[in-house]
Amino acid sequence: MNAVLQETAKASVSPLSAQGLMHGFDGTKVLDGVNLALTPGSVLGLIGRNGAGKSTLIRALLGLLEPQGGRALVFDEPALKLSDDAKARIAYVPQQPEALAWLTVQQMLDFVGRFYPHWDAEFIRLTLERWKIQPKRLLAKLSPGERQRVDLLRALASQPELLVLDEPAAALDPVARRELLREIALRAGEAGTTVLFSTHIVSDLERVASEVAFLHEGKLLLHCDVDDTKERYGRLWLPAKMSAAAPAQSLSRRRNEDGSLSLVVQRDAHGQWPEAATLTGARVDALGLEDLFVEIAE
Amino acid sequence: MDASLLTIQPNAPEPIYRQIVEQLRRLIASGQLVAGELLPSVRDVAGFHAINPMTVSRAYGMAETEGLLERLRGKGMAVAATRKPVQSESQRMALLETQLQELARHANELELPAEPVLRRLAKLLGD
Repeated sequence: MNAVLQETAKASVSPLSAQGLMHGFDGTKVLDGVNLALTPGSVLGLIGRNGAGKSTLIRALLGLLEPQGGRALVFDEPALKLSDDAKARIAYVPQQPEALAWLTVQQMLDFVGRFYPHWDAEFIRLTLERWKIQPKRLLAKLSPGERQRVDLLRALASQPELLVLDEPAAALDPVARRELLREIALRAGEAGTTVLFSTHIVSDLERVASEVAFLHEGKLLLHCDVDDTKERYGRLWLPAKMSAAAPAQSLSRRRNEDGSLSLVVQRDAHGQWPEAATLTGARVDALGLEDLFVEIAE
Repeated sequence: MDASLLTIQPNAPEPIYRQIVEQLRRLIASGQLVAGELLPSVRDVAGFHAINPMTVSRAYGMAETEGLLERLRGKGMAVAATRKPVQSESQRMALLETQLQELARHANELELPAEPVLRRLAKLLGD
């Protein structure tokens, strides 16, 4: 194979994919057949309620947890048996970083940096300075927000091809959060980094994500383009006397107290809403992602 | 033009790329952006608003297709040379004069004081 072909083959490999992932704890199903394939260069935002299994899914995808069924691939290698080469291309920030807590910030970063071929020490120096984090402090003595920032810094400095963040904004203040989102957005847009991040803050996701997936009851619902999702789905409201006209197909269906119906519906291939939407008295409202998520997760 | 001139509402049902195109359309129609004026780079807009650069590229591309913007070699995007503001502000105000006189007459007939009417009007104008 010549070099060009090899490059093409490399580019089309999904950085992260899974088929039929199953997992549970104490008899409760957390993952119930999750399928996923990240497009290179995309930013996928994973939404789900607290306890929906976002962290479990991420850990299973990266091979940090052995799923009870199905399999995950990282750059086409089994996640549970990753080569050092594949490991050097990914960076993962857990929700609560705890590793190497007995080291100082600088010691940890120097230690970790040795494992990465593209380590950016200058980026670390500048960012620590800007964030006013003393390199000599012990990791164990940092506040949760500072600890999370140091770990994000560690992940970004390795200039990964795949960046996986579990609730990265959880312990950050609004200014730091915005800065992190900016970093994610620009890395994806300019360096072509593929990003997966989980969050329950939908507006964060809407800023930077190109795709969104809802994790609900162990399954991934609606893995699609963010703009497309906003344009394709809407809330159809039908007064009580017209509820018989409701389309059979809808993502969610709720009967309101006055007998009227609220349904989440989608446009067909020609951009048309279901027929019931055209009846006099019916109404279709645009749905933001947060509303869509709430309607479906309820 | 500065990236801060755009307002982005990530949680609105309207996709961000559409929000950008809509604002460019208005800024150009009102003459706040004039023909030939350079737009901020995709990176500047994405960085300032912490949004995905692909979203900004998509908006610029759409505005270019619509003829609002044109790509200048080596300089980036600029307001298309053919774009002119609808008229000067005073000319556009003149177009409203009849309706404003009518509104004032109705308000007087109803013996409404100026203040609540202006307040309501300001709200309608999205102030």
